[in-house]
Amino acid sequence: MSQVPGEETSAAINLAWCERNGKVALKIDGWDRAVPADLGGPDAGDISRRFALLTTEALESGRDVNSVPPIAGRFEVSGDALFFIPRFPFVAGASYSLVARPHPDAGADAASPIVHIWRPADEAEPTAFVACIYPDVAVVPVNLLKFYLQFSEPMSEGRAQRAIRVCRDDTGEPLEGVFVPMDPELWDPTRQRMTLLLDPARIKHGLVPNMEAGYPLIEGVPFRLFIDPSLRDSRGRPLRAGAERRYDVGPEVRERIDPRKWRLTVPAPGSLDPLQVEFERPLDYALLQRCLWVNGPLGTVVDGHGKSGPGEGSWSFTPAEPWLAGTHQLVVDRQLEDLSGNSPVRVFDRDMTEPDDGPPLTDNVVVDFLCESG
Amino acid sequence: MVDQATTLEHLGLAVGSPGIRSVGPLAFGPEGVLFVGDNVGAAIYAIDVGDSETSGQARAIDLDNLDSSLAAYLGCTREDVEIRDLAVHPGSNNAYLSVMRGSGDAAVPVIVRIDASGAISDVALDEIGFSKSEIEDAADEDDPREVTRVKLRTVTVTDMSYVDGLLVVAGTSNEEFSSTLRRIRFPFTGDTNANSLEIFHVSHGRYETAAPIRAFVPYQGNNSILASYTCTPVVQFTVSDFAPGELAHGKTVAELGAHNRPLDLVSYEQGDEEYLLVANDRHPLIKIACVDIDQQGPLTVPDDSLDSSPADPVTPGVGVPRQLLPHEGVRRMANLDGDNVLMLQQDPEGNIHLHTYDVGDL
Repeated sequence: MSQVPGEETSAAINLAWCERNGKVALKIDGWDRAVPADLGGPDAGDISRRFALLTTEALESGRDVNSVPPIAGRFEVSGDALFFIPRFPFVAGASYSLVARPHPDAGADAASPIVHIWRPADEAEPTAFVACIYPDVAVVPVNLLKFYLQFSEPMSEGRAQRAIRVCRDDTGEPLEGVFVPMDPELWDPTRQRMTLLLDPARIKHGLVPNMEAGYPLIEGVPFRLFIDPSLRDSRGRPLRAGAERRYDVGPEVRERIDPRKWRLTVPAPGSLDPLQVEFERPLDYALLQRCLWVNGPLGTVVDGHGKSGPGEGSWSFTPAEPWLAGTHQLVVDRQLEDLSGNSPVRVFDRDMTEPDDGPPLTDNVVVDFLCESG
Repeated sequence: MVDQATTLEHLGLAVGSPGIRSVGPLAFGPEGVLFVGDNVGAAIYAIDVGDSETSGQARAIDLDNLDSSLAAYLGCTREDVEIRDLAVHPGSNNAYLSVMRGSGDAAVPVIVRIDASGAISDVALDEIGFSKSEIEDAADEDDPREVTRVKLRTVTVTDMSYVDGLLVVAGTSNEEFSSTLRRIRFPFTGDTNANSLEIFHVSHGRYETAAPIRAFVPYQGNNSILASYTCTPVVQFTVSDFAPGELAHGKTVAELGAHNRPLDLVSYEQGDEEYLLVANDRHPLIKIACVDIDQQGPLTVPDDSLDSSPADPVTPGVGVPRQLLPHEGVRRMANLDGDNVLMLQQDPEGNIHLHTYDVGDL
């Protein structure tokens, strides 16, 4: 098989890439000379009995050629040439093989010439990279639940399981079974942010995997998260470079988020200064983008822009219109989570024997604050 | 195809090009409608697969090296073929697979049909009868907080079943960690969330948690659901307990051990008894008698060995009695015709095969 893309020639058959009705097709020249007799007219059924286009991978798999399903598509005759229009687009970098079966009159000994052609690969330089790894903190709790990987451009799915790993930072030893198997992978609609879930069975108290294998991370043992450049962007190119991030591991966090402990810096009425909120612990990066908002004195949502601060330890909100005087509400959606999956309304793995854990609340949590002139 | 679609107009299907961007979980509904989860397009489609054949008799489907044959048919390498799910057409007993060919911009969603002779064809996904239900958090619609929100949340559907007029959908959010079971009325009305419920389960009578349901199967005439979780417990729900908007509680009836993940469940009858099979990524195929689930109390007390000899590994056999079956590498299953179960199996070399097993031998 030739490794040179482009036109390929057998004794009489020439294969070349071409375009038919806006789609990449395969042009087969010389087909009428490749068989002892004419095909007797452009009958597609007859042609597909005489020619089969296979993937070279299937042809070379050792299976009987006649048992390999031919590539879905159709043959068309136009002038002296035969065309194959595939049902699914030809794949960049793949090789294809045309098997020309002999005419039924040619006798049992007649050969079946096979011609190969290679579809050029996309060899553009890689450009995608890991823009940020969340949590954007130095120390994570030992019962950390999620990472988010933010990429510079849209990515392909299906390679995370092989490309992402976690190792102890002190010995370099890999930590096994840290993640839920990434099938299916969890992406945002733009395919630029991927969610990695640490194995909740090992995080949750009272489950056999937690008792057998313990937390996926080890308190006091720093680790590194590695992202291999073999991840593919949406065009199938690898990353420009791999990425890694080191974390220290602190104690577990097993209590509800407590907005009463947040420190609010309240702006003056009439100003466009931001409301600033300091959390009592780092919170989940993704949920922070949509789980906090402000209601004004009239009880309606204040129009404006919310933004999480460094290390997901704070949030600020800049209103579109100057602040009104009066009592406002910072509303905390019950879905907001900290780094360990605790929310304002429930502990991640609620111990029903602990009075402090209490049953889950069903409403959002509200913190009042007063905008008044100094 | 157009005639077929017309015959399903009463189910809300109309002929057109649905624009399916990806194919994932599959489930058949009434009159051979195929539900297809499109996690990239954030939608579930009901499509007319144009398969009106009636089988009438048991037909085994056996196809070795299915992945190689699919790659050959789809004109790509084996690495470019990802089989996502398996379902059996209730009339023809043909097998249907959701397959992604390639990835990224080059990804092509394909619904493959395999008949009893092992012949491969595919369902055209343009100009077909279809209807669509968006997978969205309905609370986001017209939300006044829009200014502060970035729409990056997705729900990745992991399993679906059609149960008495409702498409029940399990999914995993890419943001919050919760256990929401969506119930979408079919024919689709656009009202997807009224019937969502959040399910908690209790482990060992002490820890109450929520987690995304990975796979589930209705059984006992659709009165019960057995669900497996990303965190390994197997939990039973009674369908009549589901009340819209409520927090529901399930009964944890078994745990399947560390480093193991349940992949799929199927129900079948053997004699007069109903059984469930649970396929796992590490552990063997597990058989559970439905009658044992009913008799199993909630898991309340951890294995005593935990306290007395913590060095001893806990037997993963906590909970409902189970039998281990020898079928290796089972990834997906479907009840073929009541008498047979179809299994998608991966061998140690990674090759994927499709095999039929008589329920009498399971």
